[in-house]
Amino acid sequence: MSGFHLDPRAKVLVQGATGRMGSRHTELMKRYGTNIVGGIAGASARRDVSDTPLFGSCGEAVAATGATASVTLVPPMDVLGAVSEALNAGIKLIVSPSEGVPVRDAMAAYAMVKEHGAFWIGPSTPGLAIPNRLKLGFIPDVSLKPGPLGVMSKSGTLSYETCFRLASSGIGQSAWVGVGGDPVKGMRFAELLPFFQQDEQTRAVLVLGEIGGTEEEELAAEIERLAFNKPVFVLLAGSSAPEGVTMGHAGALIQGGRGTIQSKTSALRGVGAHVFTSIESLVEGVTRSDV
Amino acid sequence: MLLLEHDAKELVHPLGIPIPPGVFVDSGALDSLALDDGAWVVKAQVGVGGRGKAGGIGFAASKVEAADFIRKHADATIKGHRVAGFRIERKVDFVREVYLSFMVDAAERGIRVMLSAQGGVDVEAHAQHADAMLSAVAAPDQASLVAAAHTLLRDLPNDLHKPLGDAVEKLARAFLRLDATLLEVNPLFVLADGSWMAGDMKLGVDESALPRQPELEQAIRARPDAYRESNFKLEHDFDYVGIDAHGQVGLLTTGAGLSMMLIDEMLQAGRRPFNFCDVRTGQLRGSPARLIEVLQQFTRGPDIAVVLVNVFAGITDLGEFAQLLLAALDAVPEIKVPVVARLIGNNFPVAKQLIEQSGRRITVEFDLDKALQKAVELAGGAV
Repeated sequence: MSGFHLDPRAKVLVQGATGRMGSRHTELMKRYGTNIVGGIAGASARRDVSDTPLFGSCGEAVAATGATASVTLVPPMDVLGAVSEALNAGIKLIVSPSEGVPVRDAMAAYAMVKEHGAFWIGPSTPGLAIPNRLKLGFIPDVSLKPGPLGVMSKSGTLSYETCFRLASSGIGQSAWVGVGGDPVKGMRFAELLPFFQQDEQTRAVLVLGEIGGTEEEELAAEIERLAFNKPVFVLLAGSSAPEGVTMGHAGALIQGGRGTIQSKTSALRGVGAHVFTSIESLVEGVTRSDV
Repeated sequence: MLLLEHDAKELVHPLGIPIPPGVFVDSGALDSLALDDGAWVVKAQVGVGGRGKAGGIGFAASKVEAADFIRKHADATIKGHRVAGFRIERKVDFVREVYLSFMVDAAERGIRVMLSAQGGVDVEAHAQHADAMLSAVAAPDQASLVAAAHTLLRDLPNDLHKPLGDAVEKLARAFLRLDATLLEVNPLFVLADGSWMAGDMKLGVDESALPRQPELEQAIRARPDAYRESNFKLEHDFDYVGIDAHGQVGLLTTGAGLSMMLIDEMLQAGRRPFNFCDVRTGQLRGSPARLIEVLQQFTRGPDIAVVLVNVFAGITDLGEFAQLLLAALDAVPEIKVPVVARLIGNNFPVAKQLIEQSGRRITVEFDLDKALQKAVELAGGAV
């Protein structure tokens, strides 16, 4: 599979562009500078998506526009179908913000994504962005600012807050990818690391992680394997979460003693990452460094 | 979420999984317990693993003995989870205990099948020995799961092939049919006649799949206490988790990751958070209902000394949110403690003015650290 990369001028489709959220976010992404070339209308389409051309299917839209990326603003039970439709139309980058996609649908979607040599971000993600150039999803403008940090995050709000504070002290982002809070997902932390390694704008990596799963541990192993040589700053949430209780994100669950903050912290510190457990200490750590 | 063993067994039984016959017993209804003399196993029902080692399983030869065990363990808490009741089931004569599980492996984006010829409560200890636990990952479909399990079976003694071959087939089907994330049978009893039975069972299910799993939804709704968080979410469509009944700080917050972080930071500052929540301001749609629901939860917290509101709004209009917050506070007059509202997003000045004009004890902050500090001060003494 070829490596993941982001093209700021990529032609982007919005699947579900005519819903309440769909039309609003299509407009906001466009206003941010994203090259939105078309929307896919639902069956009960509202035809008021300003000047975005509407199509009946991804196939038609790709044929007419040459789009290569797509944002699926559809209900969670429709995500698998939307991903499948996009892939069959030749789309190579798909962002799925919906929360509540069944795990089995996510597994099926991922298998198709892999077969098509494409990349999938999400589900349950605010999306991705290159500040001032591209936004697929709804990361708030107030937190976005061009700068040296390659950001990857499981949580929307925690990344908004942290990047807002860093941006307020002058430190912005080279690229920002929300991997999402679900257990089974498209791109994982470790799989994004080669992209940040190669990206010349990225001088350090900021990771917003949390309890549950093994993604942070996999990231630590990848830092070592790649001999990753840019500083890695990590903020981990959920140190006080009780075992066996899902904390909002479907993936944020400690079960059978796995997925704990201790395991993640020691794996990441073991490979030289700077790990923090409060926003303020992380912001201080990053601002004091020479990134 | 993990179902109680009793519910797990009763859900998979109609799908062809053999289980020891059993009943659910509430500790409050012991008088109506009808039980023959004979060999019974009494098992505390709790939604977390490790019950056996925590003393939650007993044996009884009569109704009196079973009732004794239940009385003794009725108020027990295992890993912070209250015992929700008991399952009394027939003790099974088996010749062998093995381990079989299917589990979503998120990193592999597939299903991990695990099999060991030695099951039981010490399965972790066995697993330390090389080759004791066999494991393979398969795609989430019946044919792939069965094929993967059969490959593992080849390394087990011949007399296990027939019962486990059948078990694998049926359990894989149940796993897929129920949108499970975990189906662990440990021990899986192999009986003298070469048949098998599920001794203990852990069934984890995907809450996101509930819209297409009516039986699961019904099982969850039938136990509002045992599955409190899941029922709350089914009822109100947002997340709320009680953290500490004697918490000092009620959190009315949005965003799962940031809300978790606030709890961590509150504890680091020596104050006890009452709850976790993610009200999802983007879905309020002009109604204070979710805010009212959370405030009503706070009326159950005897030690709550402050309510901390945190909204980082990408899209939500803060002026509108301020109105909803004031309406929610009007609707729950029992909340008399001061409120610290940290708001950031569109129309902050409007929101601040609206709240300040209300004359309520609400401090509006733009900076999260200042808001946290203020809440920590108002929460009272450190614990």
